[in-house]
Amino acid sequence: MSTTVENEKATSGGSSVMGKASGVLVRVGKAVGGVVGVLYQAGRDTIDTVIRNIIPFMAFVSVIVGIVNYTGLGNVLANFVAPLASSLIGLLAICVFCAIPVLSPVLGPGAVIAQVVGVLLGTRIGAGDIPPQYALPALFAINPQVGCDFIPVGLALGEAEPETVEAGVPAVLFSRLITGPIAVVIAYFASFGLYSSN
Amino acid sequence: MSVLAAETPQAEDPTGFFGVLAHAAEWFIGLFQAGADNFVGLLVGIIPLLIVLLTAVNALVRAIGIERIERFGAMAARPGIQWYPVRYLLLPVLSVFFLTNPMCYTMGRFLPEKYKPAFYDSSVSFVHPILGLFPHANPGELFVYYGIAAGITTLGLGLGDLAVRFLLVGLVVILIRGVVTELITTRLLARNTTRTEGALA
Repeated sequence: MSTTVENEKATSGGSSVMGKASGVLVRVGKAVGGVVGVLYQAGRDTIDTVIRNIIPFMAFVSVIVGIVNYTGLGNVLANFVAPLASSLIGLLAICVFCAIPVLSPVLGPGAVIAQVVGVLLGTRIGAGDIPPQYALPALFAINPQVGCDFIPVGLALGEAEPETVEAGVPAVLFSRLITGPIAVVIAYFASFGLYSSN
Repeated sequence: MSVLAAETPQAEDPTGFFGVLAHAAEWFIGLFQAGADNFVGLLVGIIPLLIVLLTAVNALVRAIGIERIERFGAMAARPGIQWYPVRYLLLPVLSVFFLTNPMCYTMGRFLPEKYKPAFYDSSVSFVHPILGLFPHANPGELFVYYGIAAGITTLGLGLGDLAVRFLLVGLVVILIRGVVTELITTRLLARNTTRTEGALA
């Protein structure tokens, strides 16, 4: 508001000093306006994402967690999953299972399986059934199928030829069978010293 | 009024048919009350920090501009072993950070055909390890990380260590994935070409 008043004064005065001063003010005003605009738009995008993507998934997760915990299903699952998720061999077994080329595209969509299993394991870690340092390898063990449902679309986004897609889909699926377990082993060794003091 | 209040605690536990119904109803509501408690925990625990963080990073991405990332694409296309880390480490990280899932895969268009599947594999494998520190990159799939992280929070431990290690291991893994997938793609492409030629002859 004050900028406008200054500008009007400058134009009516007509002196070069006033002209320069108003030029500076206009530039400052524009710069500040630009920054505020970017931040405001960023905030708008954020709220949009939170409402559209994050809160709906939280609602979905809460319903599942509520049912799992309240019915005692969680304890049953814990007896099944906790021993698997508390050893390197068990985690590798989960990982290889999820990475089987026929299963991985089925398990992939929206990462829903990985998210639900993640929540279940998280609940078990919180309950103390699984040692906390296993969180890191578990993050990789439950997720070798990431993006396996999306390969043709992802390649199309990269403007790949049909021949590339034909070779690329099996290439990625087979690669996961090798790199999935490697990732778990790396994460297992990287988890040494994680929360161990506790 | 005071009579009613005095009588309430003395009410007997309902028995018989209606008693069973009442217990069933209580159990039914309790089922969802447990979910509701969990939901409030998530809303209060995660959303405020997430909103502020997302806003800051979104603003940063807008300020820097996506066009500038595209220059790296052309560089990553070069052959030679020293460009592997650029192609399967730097480029996926930058595209996931700035373009976010799923637009990050469009960066593949700067690469030759034989590198595209490996680039896709590399970048799609990074959309979760990045979540611990930069959840803006893939907010729809937050719970891959937050699900497990919630357990750590319940134990009263800090998440920073886990988030950083997840990111670092993710970096190593996407490089390995890129290289392995590139090798397999090259073999499959060669096999498919010979098969097509054989069919033509």
